[in-house]
Amino acid sequence: MAYQAEISRKNPGCFLFLIDQSESMEDPFGGGEDGRRKAEELATILNKLIHNLCIRCAKSDSIYDYFHVGVLGYSEESCQPALGGELSGRSLVPIGELASKPLRIEERIKKSDDGAGGVMDQTVKFPVWFDPYWKGGTPMCAALKEATRIVETWCQEHPKGFPPIIINITDGEATDGDLVAEARKLTAVGSDDGSVLLLNIHLSSTAGPSVELPTNANKLPDQHAKQLFEASSTLTPFMVARAKELGMPAAENSRGFIFNAQPLHVIHFLDIGTRPANVHLR
Amino acid sequence: MKHAKAANECDIKVFSCPKSGNSLEEYEDAWAHRQTRTPVGIRVAVADGATESSFAKLWAVLLAESYVRSEVTGAEFFARLKPARRLWRRRLAGRPLPWFASEKAEQGAFAAFLGVQIDAHKNHWTALAVGDCCLMQVDNVGKEMRVVEMFPLQKSSQFTMSPYLIGSRSNGESLNERIQISKGSLRDGDMLLLATDAVAAWLLKQHEEGRPLWKWLYRKLSTPESFAAMVAYGRKNGLRNDDFTLVRVIHHDVPVEAKES
Repeated sequence: MAYQAEISRKNPGCFLFLIDQSESMEDPFGGGEDGRRKAEELATILNKLIHNLCIRCAKSDSIYDYFHVGVLGYSEESCQPALGGELSGRSLVPIGELASKPLRIEERIKKSDDGAGGVMDQTVKFPVWFDPYWKGGTPMCAALKEATRIVETWCQEHPKGFPPIIINITDGEATDGDLVAEARKLTAVGSDDGSVLLLNIHLSSTAGPSVELPTNANKLPDQHAKQLFEASSTLTPFMVARAKELGMPAAENSRGFIFNAQPLHVIHFLDIGTRPANVHLR
Repeated sequence: MKHAKAANECDIKVFSCPKSGNSLEEYEDAWAHRQTRTPVGIRVAVADGATESSFAKLWAVLLAESYVRSEVTGAEFFARLKPARRLWRRRLAGRPLPWFASEKAEQGAFAAFLGVQIDAHKNHWTALAVGDCCLMQVDNVGKEMRVVEMFPLQKSSQFTMSPYLIGSRSNGESLNERIQISKGSLRDGDMLLLATDAVAAWLLKQHEEGRPLWKWLYRKLSTPESFAAMVAYGRKNGLRNDDFTLVRVIHHDVPVEAKES
């Protein structure tokens, strides 16, 4: 049965995020009144996700390399590794190295319970690995090609491991070719434990309704949305269970795709995508 | 592979080993046992530190030790964990930790727990559990080996990836609904097995599928080598890779004159 491999330090999990950095990422995200740009909101969500992955892998006074994580940004005519600072130019980085080499550690204010029925401001450390950026077109096919190259190497090096999970986050359509064909090439790569999983999130610029984890393309409004659906892998049973726990309408054949996602959808979707299977971390 | 034998008066044997691929230092289960005077008998505990939490081994040890040094057998045991929690915090205090380790430690450590008190005179036991460490009682030893108790889980399918666990930091949440208590009587020669989740689930599965290991556990399990052989067989036959802890207690009825003295 596929997607059963244990995630361990010997056979770590691999998460690769493909981030749309085209011009339209400058627009406000969803129906939010604070007018936060999609690129800014996404950077916050992604930094928080890497932060959470570091905490998950922290073990007493060290950190176990259960995961290797990469972030590729695509904009203008190309696709580049998007982690900053000492990790610049790196496609995949062990989580322990990520934890020790953030771009910077900011202090942010978090609202928390004051223990007396009120709310108080608490200063928390917020490591940043990835800054928002936007420019030019949407070379999504270039990103999928680069992802294919990276996961081919990964799977050769980890033939028995859980297959890599690629999460593509975009607000638009590919401007450089046939998205579905490139996605098929990417998901044709795999380990003994199954094919690479490609999950797609389409970000909304409005407060319009979203389509979460669909089993078919019937409710999708246009060809671009349908292409993203076609390009998305079917969720593993464990991902379906996790989606249901989070209150999302997941079914056995749900694709890893959200159309017109609001910020909370993105957070939930990333949670689902980074909990690959019914496995303990060893 | 570790193995310990209790004082000669008690027929207790403890078998344990870390998950495959890990070192002995990374083993995060804990066990403890201690003879008691009132009532005359023994207290035995196993605890399973959660892999995804930090400093879980320390917390599992503190839980098991707290139980065997305590005298209570009911839910009030969990209301008296303040000293253990304080000790856990003290062991970490002042330790220079990187940001991720410090943040993880703030979340606390977690463990599943099972404690059993055996009253040797009255021939009964009382068990207390939170989570998925299990007690199995087998009687009619040497004959058909009847399983008379499985606690707190009765079937291998009841083991999940997210059992309720006890935290080293009290979050104010009441444990009451999660605490399980059971009692039972003992006959001479009865075998009690206390096991952490992976080995308990596997033993129950073998039992359900008509391949019980009770007889083998009673007669053949005696040395670290025999436990290693069982683990090796298990790993080829559905035993999940985890830390393993199995405590075997054989109850011997105290002669009447000893009871009266």
